[in-house]
Amino acid sequence: MADQTNPLLDDRDLDFLLYDVLHAERLVELPDFADHERETFDLLLKTTRRFAREVLYPAYKPMDESPPVLANGRVTVHPMMHAIYPKLAELGLINASRPASVGGMSLPLTISTAAMAYLMAANLSAAGYAFLTTGAAHLIEAFGDEDLKATYMRPMYDGTWTGTMALTEPQAGSSLTDVKTAATPTDRGHFLIRGSKTFISGGDHDLTENIVNLVLARIDGAPPGIKGVSLFVVPRRRPTREGLVDNDVSTAGVIHKIGWRGLPSVILSFGEASDCHGYLLGEPHKGIGYMFQMMNEARILVGVSAAATASAAYHESVAYARVRPQGRSMKQRDPAAPQIPIIEHADVRRMLLRQKAIVEGALCLSLATSRYADLAFHGATPAARSHAALLLDLLTPVAKSFPAEKGFEANALSVQIHGGYGYSSEYLPEAWMRDQKLNTIHEGTTGIQSMDLLGRKAVAGGGAAIRALLEEITEAATRARTADVPVSWIDAVTGAGAAVAAITAELGAFALGGDVEKMMLHSVDYLELFSVLVIGWQWLQQAAAAREGLARQDGLGDFYEGKLCAAQYWIFTEIPRIPALAELCRSGEDSYGRMKPAWF
Amino acid sequence: MKILVPLKRVADPDNANKVKIPAAGDKIETTGLEWKPNPFDEYALEAALRLTENGQTPKVRAGEVVVVTFGPKETEQTLRAALATGADRAIRIDTTDDKLDGDLVARALAALIEKEKPDVVVMGKQAVDGDSNQVGQILAELLDWPMATFAATIKEEAGALVVSREVDGGVATMRVKLPAIVTVDLRIVAPTSVYSTKTAATFKYNDGVRFAALPAIMAAKKKLLVEIKLADLAADQALKVEYKAFQAPPARKAGIKVKDVTELVTRLKNEAKVL
Repeated sequence: MADQTNPLLDDRDLDFLLYDVLHAERLVELPDFADHERETFDLLLKTTRRFAREVLYPAYKPMDESPPVLANGRVTVHPMMHAIYPKLAELGLINASRPASVGGMSLPLTISTAAMAYLMAANLSAAGYAFLTTGAAHLIEAFGDEDLKATYMRPMYDGTWTGTMALTEPQAGSSLTDVKTAATPTDRGHFLIRGSKTFISGGDHDLTENIVNLVLARIDGAPPGIKGVSLFVVPRRRPTREGLVDNDVSTAGVIHKIGWRGLPSVILSFGEASDCHGYLLGEPHKGIGYMFQMMNEARILVGVSAAATASAAYHESVAYARVRPQGRSMKQRDPAAPQIPIIEHADVRRMLLRQKAIVEGALCLSLATSRYADLAFHGATPAARSHAALLLDLLTPVAKSFPAEKGFEANALSVQIHGGYGYSSEYLPEAWMRDQKLNTIHEGTTGIQSMDLLGRKAVAGGGAAIRALLEEITEAATRARTADVPVSWIDAVTGAGAAVAAITAELGAFALGGDVEKMMLHSVDYLELFSVLVIGWQWLQQAAAAREGLARQDGLGDFYEGKLCAAQYWIFTEIPRIPALAELCRSGEDSYGRMKPAWF
Repeated sequence: MKILVPLKRVADPDNANKVKIPAAGDKIETTGLEWKPNPFDEYALEAALRLTENGQTPKVRAGEVVVVTFGPKETEQTLRAALATGADRAIRIDTTDDKLDGDLVARALAALIEKEKPDVVVMGKQAVDGDSNQVGQILAELLDWPMATFAATIKEEAGALVVSREVDGGVATMRVKLPAIVTVDLRIVAPTSVYSTKTAATFKYNDGVRFAALPAIMAAKKKLLVEIKLADLAADQALKVEYKAFQAPPARKAGIKVKDVTELVTRLKNEAKVL
């Protein structure tokens, strides 16, 4: 059984990040969020965290141990998921951040992200049914006509039906422009869909009477490449006057995965009997563009799921390190002296503090990026909205890839702290480590995030995005100075900001000189150094808020001291790596650049 | 049926910031504490909701549940949470925690009940902070109402409740005529513990208390929450219970290994004093 005492996420930390660091309560001053107040945020979070701990978490290990099965052409999910799903739908998080006009409650994304983090930390697969549905329904909300909204978006938002993103094909994963699924127009308005999709999460299950797939396909005769791909609504069963009838969508297989094992990932076959109806979403040939407009939120959510998965493992390893006696202190020579808990060993604390720095840095970034998303859409002035949009675009590749990459490292440290027990499936850390690996792969691999960051976002607007970032760092530095954060900490972060701006300009100059390959050769190293800076900035803000808290003497001294140690750790062990990584990017070091496939 | 449910907030024992006692030992330090509703009061609310609905259609209310708490403005969050869970109306009796004891709470509740005239008061058997287990009993005495404490099941009948109570060696079942006071124990939230006359005998609830859906939290902001001054309910606010000193329980000592059975017996006799 799962250890019921694992808090999954630290409530005090969430409060600290939301209110002390990010001042999320000020979002209610914006007209679109005027129905809210901090009290409702707190009640929503309280309810969600309780739901996560009491309903979702006890089902995590059983669902990991018994993944869904395909029999007689349909997928059956774990019985515990059947008990969970109606409650999950009723909780109302699926459309909480959507406006009242579509049945939602206009909750700021900052708050719904925090709430979703609890569900993800408790049971990633169970949460998946909800957030996949949100993403698919949001696309219909943004680009569908009234008919599609009434028929599909509504029942998805209230959880009656679930949704999927059916994009990937065996030959078209990261390269979605290569999809082959065909859509043939008919004279009755709908299209006939024919093709196969793979890795479709939630693509088949027995929880709801219908599943709505959003399918990328090419209309017959469409131009090749990215400008010939359209997006279709393709339900498992289509509504008719006689009720729901089979829509010629079949399940060809279920993928055996190493993680997210409570959520089926399936191979779907469309139109085997030439009777699969698809409904065009928006205009023809604009499917990829529509997808990208929704990409920021989806990528932020992947980052949140990564931070949440690392958080659950972090708390598990802290609790374990406190009670596991092993060895004696270096000063204790008496073999008869009792053993000490492993948390007393400095190297174990190193591994715990590294996890803490990664987890709480990643969570802070997830919430900060969500806040920019709120301000980008609901900010008070056009200038405030475009400033926030610039930062949202710039930070999204980091908010997606940092929690996933470093979260995996944090998850591995949790296994390490559990020693031999950690390597056993009796204990949970290995399961979270398996779950975590997907996050560097789906919604754009780390390599793709690095190209998005360096090739597009960092050089956008002639450096406007980087300048906006530097302004934010300067603001954080001012707050930190006022709060008496040591000057050396502040200088380290602002210095790193200047270094990152400089290397960005230098790499941009390679491209201007015609050498795009040289610019992009070390894009992953660039993503790494950029991420170290961005997380350093998150920790500088947290250090400032922690100093402010200490000055208040509100009885949370231990909490703030822990924050300051984690900030110090990041600033003095990670930020010094930036110059070396920048040098690597600058040098054009070409070991893998010139390596030929035949030499492997 | 109209039901009054008194709620108390207590310090959350799971929170990292624990209750502290200052060196003077004259009070409990509450700064920085996280609060949660007393669990037995949450069970009472769940029981009250079950008594005022058909379990199959819980969104249709068949009766009224009024929640009441004593405390400063911030305790309204406890009431809002109860309203989000399904309670219909809330009352906050304005006072501060250090100006209350069980007797004063019971006297004020008795005065409130004179005005509200509920058919039944369902309350937790005790609060998990003070563990006094007094208010329900004092209240029944003041009102001269029948009382059933430590209820494990409740079935509604016309004009009465059939309550089974867990007692040493078994279960005592009693019928209390309304109006009455019922204090509940933890098994009251089991799937087959509470039946209103509207709920089919074959119906089974989910185990435990219900969760507030997020939209219900928003809707709860529109439900009525009124404030009453404690002085309007109890002219005499003198306390009968005086706290002389607070002391934390001694920290648990580490275990020891004994050499042999003889040492074990000696230690059990002389140190643990259990033999």
